[in-house]
Amino acid sequence: MKSSPWHDVRLVFLKEMKSALRFRAAWAAMLMFALTTLACVSLAVQGGALSPRLLAALYWTVLFFASMAGIDRVFEAEDSSGTLLALRVYGSADAVLFGKLLYTFSLLLALAIPLTLAFLLLMDVTVAEPLLLLLLVLLGCFGLAAAGTLVAALGLGASVRGSLAPILLMPLMLPIFLPAIFVTAGAFGGEAASLSFLLGMGLYDAVLTVGASVLFPYLWYAD
Amino acid sequence: MNVKKTLGILLALLTVAVLYAVFFLVPPAEGLGYYVRIAFFHIPMAWVSVLAFLLSAWWGAMYLRRRDMRFDALSARSAKLGFLFVLLATGSGAVFSKLTWGAYWNWDPRQTTIFVLLLIYGAYLTLRAAMGEARLRARASAVYALFSFLTVPFLVFILPRLYFSLHPSPVINGSGSIDMDTSMLLTLLASLADGTLLYAFLMAEGKKEPRKEETP
Repeated sequence: MKSSPWHDVRLVFLKEMKSALRFRAAWAAMLMFALTTLACVSLAVQGGALSPRLLAALYWTVLFFASMAGIDRVFEAEDSSGTLLALRVYGSADAVLFGKLLYTFSLLLALAIPLTLAFLLLMDVTVAEPLLLLLLVLLGCFGLAAAGTLVAALGLGASVRGSLAPILLMPLMLPIFLPAIFVTAGAFGGEAASLSFLLGMGLYDAVLTVGASVLFPYLWYAD
Repeated sequence: MNVKKTLGILLALLTVAVLYAVFFLVPPAEGLGYYVRIAFFHIPMAWVSVLAFLLSAWWGAMYLRRRDMRFDALSARSAKLGFLFVLLATGSGAVFSKLTWGAYWNWDPRQTTIFVLLLIYGAYLTLRAAMGEARLRARASAVYALFSFLTVPFLVFILPRLYFSLHPSPVINGSGSIDMDTSMLLTLLASLADGTLLYAFLMAEGKKEPRKEETP
């Protein structure tokens, strides 16, 4: 019986979820890494009054580096247990990419929500437009997940994988981060930025997803 | 006479002509004075770094299509040269910026664009250095070169809208007209051709067959 593409994506997603629940230490490490990054920033600022633009820049910087702890691990379970070949044989490239992308997106949201609340609390930020901030977090996390899944696959077989992800990902994420900082500053009560930036972020997310789906099969299937 | 030698002679003649034009023919520019001379080195370097990025991605795509290691070698060589040119473009731009605006760096949209390109080149070369097996390296770096090319529309169309720019207008300005002295324009075009020829010469100079263990 031939299964539908969505069914395969769902199976990969559920496999990732089960695997993540089994290795709770990975979640704890990721959340603690995020908290440590945020604590460093908050301690350095020591309650000083910061402009909305600077707060927005700090927020996205913390979110980016904290998310690296999750993105680094996208193919970690299969690579360390030697089951990568099995996944290659049984999972089509699209099913693996989209299953892992959806899982990474959920993981990043699970990280971003407590991180955002902690950031608002520790940095004493009043959010003027919470829905706008939520939309920005959704768009930012989706872009990170789309680019991050492909970048994690790029790192398979690399000798210095841990530090590779932020180096490869940063230039790719700037088209999301720079507009996100402008709009987030508005959501934090600063000068309102044009909402066309949100459209631009959404479009870039779509471009990253299409680009990843076109290029991922070249990485997934050996020569 | 072989192609490499012909390229070398053409390059030498054109370089001498461009240097002569820059130092003896080009008049001082309004508001910039003789600092404008830096532009005849800076703009070709920036142009070649973008061209090398485009060609590196193109040869990466050719590798993914044909799985021929010669395309990977070309892609890697173009990226290495592009990295060198982007460093020179960033350095010469910073000097120009200090002389005209008073600071080496202020994240002007064009400075940001060239810096993103520098980051992409750096990431590409780091990825290559981190991959041990030749075919894996070729595949991963080709995919990264093409994936990072997705940032180009943002750098060209969106970034300039985010920040105010002090950078002089491009050769063809917003109204679509060319606002430049004729001798300056001709010198700039010659310097762009010279930079492109230098890139072609260096690509030809480094061209070699892939090592035996890298061939299919």
